[in-house]
Amino acid sequence: MGDRDIDKAKDEFFSEAQEIVDGLSRDLLALDEVIKTGGSDAELVNDVFRAVHTLKGLSGLFGAAMMSGLSHELEDLLDDLRLGRIELTPVVLDLLFRAVELYGKILSAAKGDGPEPADEVKTLLVSLGQVAQNKAGGGGSVVAQYELDPGLLGVLTEYEEHRLRTNLQAGLSLFKLRVAFQLATIDSALDELKAKTRPHGEIITYLPTGEGTDPDAVELEILVATRTPLATLRAQITGFNITIDEVRRRDAGPQEAYQPAGPSIIPTKGGQEVSDFFPPPATFDALPQQARTSVPPPPTAFQSGAPPPIRERDQTARMENAREPGPRELSLKSVSQTVRVDIRKLDSLMNIVGELAIVRSMLARMGERVRARPELRDFASDMERVHRAFDRHLMQMQNGILEVRMVPLGQVFDKLARIVRQLSREADKQVNFVITGAETEIDKLIVEELSDPLMHMIRNAIDHGIEDRDGRMRVGKPIVGTIALNAFQKGNHVVIEVEDDGAGMDPRRIVEIAVRRGMVVADEAQSLTAKEILALVFTPGFSTRDEATSLSGRGVGMDIVKTNIAKLGGVVDITSELGIGTKVTIVLPITLAIISVLFVEVRDQIFSVPLASVEEAIVFDESAVRLVEGREVMTQRGATLPIARLARMFRMEERPRKNHRSYVVIGTVGERRVGFVVDKLIGQQDIVVKALGKSLTDVRGFAGATELGDQRVGLVLDVASLIDEVLASEQQRLAERGLQ
Amino acid sequence: MSEARTPRTPRAIDKYSNKSLQKVERRGTVRRAQAGNLEEYLAFVLGEDAYAVHISHIAEILKPLPITEVPRARRDVVGVMSVRGRLVTVLDLKRRFSIAEAKTGAPSESKTRILLVDTGEELMGVLVDEVLQVYRLAEDEIEPSSALGGDQPSHITGVGRPHAGPLLVLLDLRPVIRG
Repeated sequence: MGDRDIDKAKDEFFSEAQEIVDGLSRDLLALDEVIKTGGSDAELVNDVFRAVHTLKGLSGLFGAAMMSGLSHELEDLLDDLRLGRIELTPVVLDLLFRAVELYGKILSAAKGDGPEPADEVKTLLVSLGQVAQNKAGGGGSVVAQYELDPGLLGVLTEYEEHRLRTNLQAGLSLFKLRVAFQLATIDSALDELKAKTRPHGEIITYLPTGEGTDPDAVELEILVATRTPLATLRAQITGFNITIDEVRRRDAGPQEAYQPAGPSIIPTKGGQEVSDFFPPPATFDALPQQARTSVPPPPTAFQSGAPPPIRERDQTARMENAREPGPRELSLKSVSQTVRVDIRKLDSLMNIVGELAIVRSMLARMGERVRARPELRDFASDMERVHRAFDRHLMQMQNGILEVRMVPLGQVFDKLARIVRQLSREADKQVNFVITGAETEIDKLIVEELSDPLMHMIRNAIDHGIEDRDGRMRVGKPIVGTIALNAFQKGNHVVIEVEDDGAGMDPRRIVEIAVRRGMVVADEAQSLTAKEILALVFTPGFSTRDEATSLSGRGVGMDIVKTNIAKLGGVVDITSELGIGTKVTIVLPITLAIISVLFVEVRDQIFSVPLASVEEAIVFDESAVRLVEGREVMTQRGATLPIARLARMFRMEERPRKNHRSYVVIGTVGERRVGFVVDKLIGQQDIVVKALGKSLTDVRGFAGATELGDQRVGLVLDVASLIDEVLASEQQRLAERGLQ
Repeated sequence: MSEARTPRTPRAIDKYSNKSLQKVERRGTVRRAQAGNLEEYLAFVLGEDAYAVHISHIAEILKPLPITEVPRARRDVVGVMSVRGRLVTVLDLKRRFSIAEAKTGAPSESKTRILLVDTGEELMGVLVDEVLQVYRLAEDEIEPSSALGGDQPSHITGVGRPHAGPLLVLLDLRPVIRG
């Protein structure tokens, strides 16, 4: 099961990446045309930039380090192009075309259809670095000229990258320290190492290598920029299980093999453009080894189905082709066998299924009529059979469509993992991010909407939850904080939890802030239960930091999280224990398309109540209603239950009713319950919910509508907002009284 | 009285609607213009007066379907209905514009129609008392809305004066029902 889900996510990645690469290729061809006529097109360059940017994001998600590194460098180049720092010459364009080609190879390799084009990527990175160096005003991506793992470059924070670049531009050397630390002593040992290293230069970053065999040790890779020679470093940073190596410039490789660039590789044709671009032969030193030593390609290289963009004057491209046999290398075939479908198309298919369900119930009614006629008994049983078959296939079709909409939550979780890494480093807190249940599937539309709320919850956990190092030491917690992201399916719902082992939320502080912001009256605050206090953080405008931090203070509060989740038909709940940690739980429906509802009748109008928010339905006993503080309540299972009469809430005409029984449908959202009085219970059914039109978005209390089968439409209640309304008006009343 | 020329169906009319519209058009007098472009307007009755909207805004004309009231909605929202699986919000323009009912009383059920209008954002239904016919108006048959005097609301785009027909208040429904 797990494997299949991973495959599914991967397939999606492939198809998406392939699609972007295809689009990239088209844009470049268009650019080529523009340049040939001597023009330029800023919009096209922007499109290319965006495509590469998306690829970078995607590949980051799937840990495709090579693709990520390549995209990273390309992005820099394109940014320079966009900002006019370098000119879009045919040579630059060729590099871009080569990048497209390499993307294709990387994708094939990832699918197991060929070797990883590692060397070629390196070569291209060097060429890109050179272009960057030649830009007006200097600067640029010197980073690419160093033998750094593209995967490592991909995970540097912006600041680290900036420091790295600055140091390298200043001519400092770069060293890679590998140290294995015992987990028990890592904190003091790391400090000691830092202290020993600092006098020599700047520590750019330290990252776990994920290697090393000792389970009680962690191996870190530390990048240091310094002017101190290697030997001195090795002599002075001692006392650790350490190896120190210099990160070489790619062009400063082993000098023995180096042959000065001869005229043989400077093309005579189109040489003008090349020398315009690559300044004096001296910088040819920087050309990669393979390029320098390879021979001009055999003519066949261009007859092997190579796409048109490869130009003769592009030395590197020619050499690459020469190095490996052409046909296997260049393929125009897409690696993906999947089709990307607009979710709206699935919605319309789902609508048709809904229509078919109506046809099915009409068939059933016809069947009943036929059965009532004795002379048609044979026919009736045939019809019954047809009806059953129809029913079965319809169900299969419905499930099939639903399955297509489902994607694993891992899609968004992986993105979050990168964010945790970045944020925790920016906040200088060490965080261990543990994900479980990434394979849990949920409706694609829900996944799309989940990333922002989850990101915010995780920001909160890092910023407000996890204490800083000293704080954790003081209370005897492990230095490394833990944030757990758990997902699992529970019936027709998916539960997602974000849990941290941080400081927890201080009820007194919450109350203090809520009172200061005028959200509760001080007196009233005294009587709030712990749960009610925690719920205050969902109030709009609540933020526990007075000043916005770079992490959480982006104008998005838990109230937005709650609203966004509610829009998806889900609920948010929060539990927290001071000093122990905080857990935020989201419960979501698996799909937005089909829900089980209870049909009820109020004043001859049929409404449906999503079963997900129905606790139970009981017979209404008018005599059990008590008026407490002007509000109708009844006692149910020993607890007080506020009562809301739907007919009154909806201002529907009161009609004299003959002594009829009424019912109470108990709606729950999280811990909050309200009993809604209805006239009749009709039954349960799975329905397709359709959104109300934009013109009705300001009408509160309805989640949508559904077809009832006889051309009529029934409204679907939005239980969460109705409960809010009932309880809010109560709170308002209380608050008003408090003020008097 | 009618010329046998089949009117060109505007592109915006979807395939379901041709029949009803064509029927309406055939019933009407199709007048050839002396000069200039002819614009087609669908005329209908609200209360006492005749109104018309450009035919390209009308997707379909429907006989009344069961409409479900939406509690708490604006007063001019009659409710929602399903048109072949699509959810459509239905408006009552008379309530919207405070147009009085005809002196002869409420419109007869058999003449009431729902015009489907695509606002670009959603498909909406507009309840009218009666659909008259399609008028082809030449430029000289359209007067500016100021002909009605004073400041007219922006949804009134002009006054149509077909040579053989009633005075038509020309409406642009899209901003009205979007708001």
